[in-house]
Amino acid sequence: MSPFWLSYLPVAIILSSLLPGLIIFTLKEQQVKLRISLNLLGVSVKLILVLIMWQAVKAGDIFYFSLPFLPGADLVLQGDALSLLFVVLSSVLWLATTIYAIGYLENSPLRSRFFGYFSLCVSATVGLALSGNLVSFLLFYELLTLATFPLVVHRGTPQSLAAGRRYLAYTLSGGLLLLTGVALLHSVVQSPQFIPGGYVSAVVSEHAMLLKLAFALMIGGLGVKAALLPLHGWLPQAMVAPAPVSALLHAVAVVKAGAFGIIRLVYDVFGVDSMQQLQLAEPLMLLAAATILYGSWRALAQQDIKRRLAYSTISQVSYITVGVAMLGPLAAVGGLVHLVHQGVMKITLFFCAGNYAETLGVHKIRELNGAGRRMPLTSAAFTLAALGMIGIPPSAGFISKWYLGLGAVATDNNLMLMVFVLSGLLNAGYFLPIVYRLWFLPQRGSWPQEQRLSASLETHWMLLLPMLFTALLIILMGLFASTGVSPLSWAQLIVEREFSYD
Amino acid sequence: MIIVLLLVPLLSALLMLLWPRIAPLLALLSAAVSSLFAAKLLLQVNEQGTLQWLLAGWPTGLAISWQADSLSCLLILLCSILQLLVGFYAFATRARDQLSQGFWPLSTLLQLSLTVLWLSRDLFNLYVCLELLGLVAVALVSLSGGKAFKPALNYLLLSLFGSLCYLLGVVLLYAVYGLLDIKGLAQAWQADWLSSCALLLMSLGLMLKAALWPLHAWLPAAHAAAPAPVSALLSALVVKGPLFILCLLWLQLASVQQAQLVAPLFAGAGLAALLFGGWSALRTPFIKNLVAYSTVAQLGYATLALGLMLKFDQPLIFAALWLFVLAHALAKAACFLAVGEMSATLGGKRLTIVKGASQTMPLAMFAFAVAGGSLIGLPPSGGFVAKWALLQGLWLQGELLLWPLALVLATLLSAAYVFRVVVVAFDRADPVAPDFAPQLLPQWLALLPALAVWAMAMFSEPLLLLLRLEA
Repeated sequence: MSPFWLSYLPVAIILSSLLPGLIIFTLKEQQVKLRISLNLLGVSVKLILVLIMWQAVKAGDIFYFSLPFLPGADLVLQGDALSLLFVVLSSVLWLATTIYAIGYLENSPLRSRFFGYFSLCVSATVGLALSGNLVSFLLFYELLTLATFPLVVHRGTPQSLAAGRRYLAYTLSGGLLLLTGVALLHSVVQSPQFIPGGYVSAVVSEHAMLLKLAFALMIGGLGVKAALLPLHGWLPQAMVAPAPVSALLHAVAVVKAGAFGIIRLVYDVFGVDSMQQLQLAEPLMLLAAATILYGSWRALAQQDIKRRLAYSTISQVSYITVGVAMLGPLAAVGGLVHLVHQGVMKITLFFCAGNYAETLGVHKIRELNGAGRRMPLTSAAFTLAALGMIGIPPSAGFISKWYLGLGAVATDNNLMLMVFVLSGLLNAGYFLPIVYRLWFLPQRGSWPQEQRLSASLETHWMLLLPMLFTALLIILMGLFASTGVSPLSWAQLIVEREFSYD
Repeated sequence: MIIVLLLVPLLSALLMLLWPRIAPLLALLSAAVSSLFAAKLLLQVNEQGTLQWLLAGWPTGLAISWQADSLSCLLILLCSILQLLVGFYAFATRARDQLSQGFWPLSTLLQLSLTVLWLSRDLFNLYVCLELLGLVAVALVSLSGGKAFKPALNYLLLSLFGSLCYLLGVVLLYAVYGLLDIKGLAQAWQADWLSSCALLLMSLGLMLKAALWPLHAWLPAAHAAAPAPVSALLSALVVKGPLFILCLLWLQLASVQQAQLVAPLFAGAGLAALLFGGWSALRTPFIKNLVAYSTVAQLGYATLALGLMLKFDQPLIFAALWLFVLAHALAKAACFLAVGEMSATLGGKRLTIVKGASQTMPLAMFAFAVAGGSLIGLPPSGGFVAKWALLQGLWLQGELLLWPLALVLATLLSAAYVFRVVVVAFDRADPVAPDFAPQLLPQWLALLPALAVWAMAMFSEPLLLLLRLEA
């Protein structure tokens, strides 16, 4: 492995999904095999490249690739520990979602367009994870908006067009806020590369007001995608999209992009010291805590499965923000690891919801009675993920909540501890009744729209396999949290690097 | 070299009249040759610095003076490349759209008059260019036939009125100073009421011709009525000519006090154009009118930047002004070609014709969306770089809130009208006839400038450097 080759690795990782995506656009509807092979080829190449990068970063390398762009702000791709956390998450889940989507959309129209944008969306996500300064981040953030819009409106129904309009209105305004914030910060300190400890500390005393304004603008922009409290309205509406898209929005790309941006902003732009000096962490934490409770509360009242999951996402993603905003190392580990754990658990839940909808035609929670007998594997996966969301050991969700709780104790933050307990109760309140209906209530009449998608299995194998894979991950990540390959150990590695910069 | 840039279009236009059968070939050839030489001129100016000429060997003051700085060269290059591209589009669709033969000599003359306009630094010479430009543009609009006569006539009358206003201002200045050369005038300039009057008269005429708010009312009808290649040329290039002269007048002639006085007026007019233009684009039921109103709105950015430049005298804002112009020219050409193509293939003028266009005509729709991205200012497009430069310039001047907020509002409006079209295009398409086969080449030609405006962002650093030096 020559260094020359290695410096192009970040670009290669982006191209590994971008190129297949562009080729897929040109394919005809009937070229199913070619399309599937291109998709899988892209996924495998990406996973191999990510693996190479993971090995190198673990050994302490950092990858840079830059192109001249604006004065004082090149386009920089940077592969460091934090970016890899998100890259690995999105690549692995992309694999699962691709297989699921192939099964889910079998025989539906416009698949070339769908998979083309699907690949673009993942390319934008990975680019966003790898971007090395705020300007590059902004660029991929906007591209992500543009690439996901066609997926949200994919069904072309009046409802989905309305949801698409709303999605655009929210995300473009958010992008604009982010742009203003980034430009403002650029006018003060330029846009150097992300660095542990941030780069604004030199001007904190001089430009405190400007920095606060820029921070507020950027959080506003990122908060739209991360579905922070007043900016969350698009997420429940976007549920009209097909299930793989919801999975992508919630677990792989959009929501995570916002949360990831907040992590970058807090640790690598402002840095813990400047955050404390400017007293920015407290409001962010309170806002996120309010979002956690609000999302859980609203989820209780939802009768549609996907809508309940959507409100649950709003609540769960804010755990990441809270973990970051507490500014302690333990809480940071909890927040970072929750980025991965929440993604895997939520994607499992959406796969399950999609399976119920595809196989039985079930969309409402009260129609789920007795589904455990008809679809045991799906229901088992759903139960597992739901228990994980509540935070019951030995699932992955327990690990993240444990560290978040430890972090709250370490920073003497009783308020957050209360929030965690309360939200845990609410989580149980909206997930356990579903689990109860699945297993313990008798079936009411016939299923709304039953389809036999497989002779021997409960549903199509392409719908089952990804779901079982992610469900297995939930358990494995929980059981083997202390080994060297777990997300937890990686989060600890990141935090070591972030908190020991001087 | 400069001779070639002038003679090639002139001679080919004359030849076209003599030998109409090879007119398209000649037009394309002349545009290609001009593009080459324009690129060469740009390189030369970049190396050797600004070139100046005094025509016909007369001394300064008497002679018509011409100047090729890097901004002029960039504009000449843009002009000839767009001419070439639009020429190809017109050639590819000539049979279907029944484009009149008159298009070829007229568009070549258009290129000639614009080239002279970018070079000239003499008030009367500029008037001649302006008049020629106006007449050619009116003739081009009327190529659409009967329905276009009314807007074309409207355009003609207003254009003549504008030229007269401008001429009156020139005459006033000549009566007082006995000079027409801008550099000479600038040295002898006195900021009295007479020179203010002359400046205001000239500005009135120019604003009318450039369709700057509130004198824009003629533009949407005229641009929407013209054939697609003509609308592309008009929106992308023609309105920029008077704007260029306006900038020359206020940035080089006017004294500091005069500039400070009108700065808020220009900035206000720009803001109003952005808001009202954007709003009208949101309301109109016709797709070409939407694109035309977007031109009104986008010219608002340029006007706003001119006003801010007069107020702050910040090179970055000047660079932003011309970046807006360059990005808008490319993006708008792509928009008009794409919209023209869709409306010719799918049939109809209303916005609803693009329903499902993302499936039936994906390339054209993609071109529109990509160009729209630059109109909104999404990174990494030319429009984004311009907006970025403007914001940075404003913040360097300590202007924190008011104008940036206005920019944000304008951006939201432009996003709203661009996505108004895009959302309709993502609706499920109605079933198409079995022999439905949209032409591919014109769609690719519409996509080219759209891609170019995104590629422009990759050259933003040299562009910014170049334009800042011109300020």
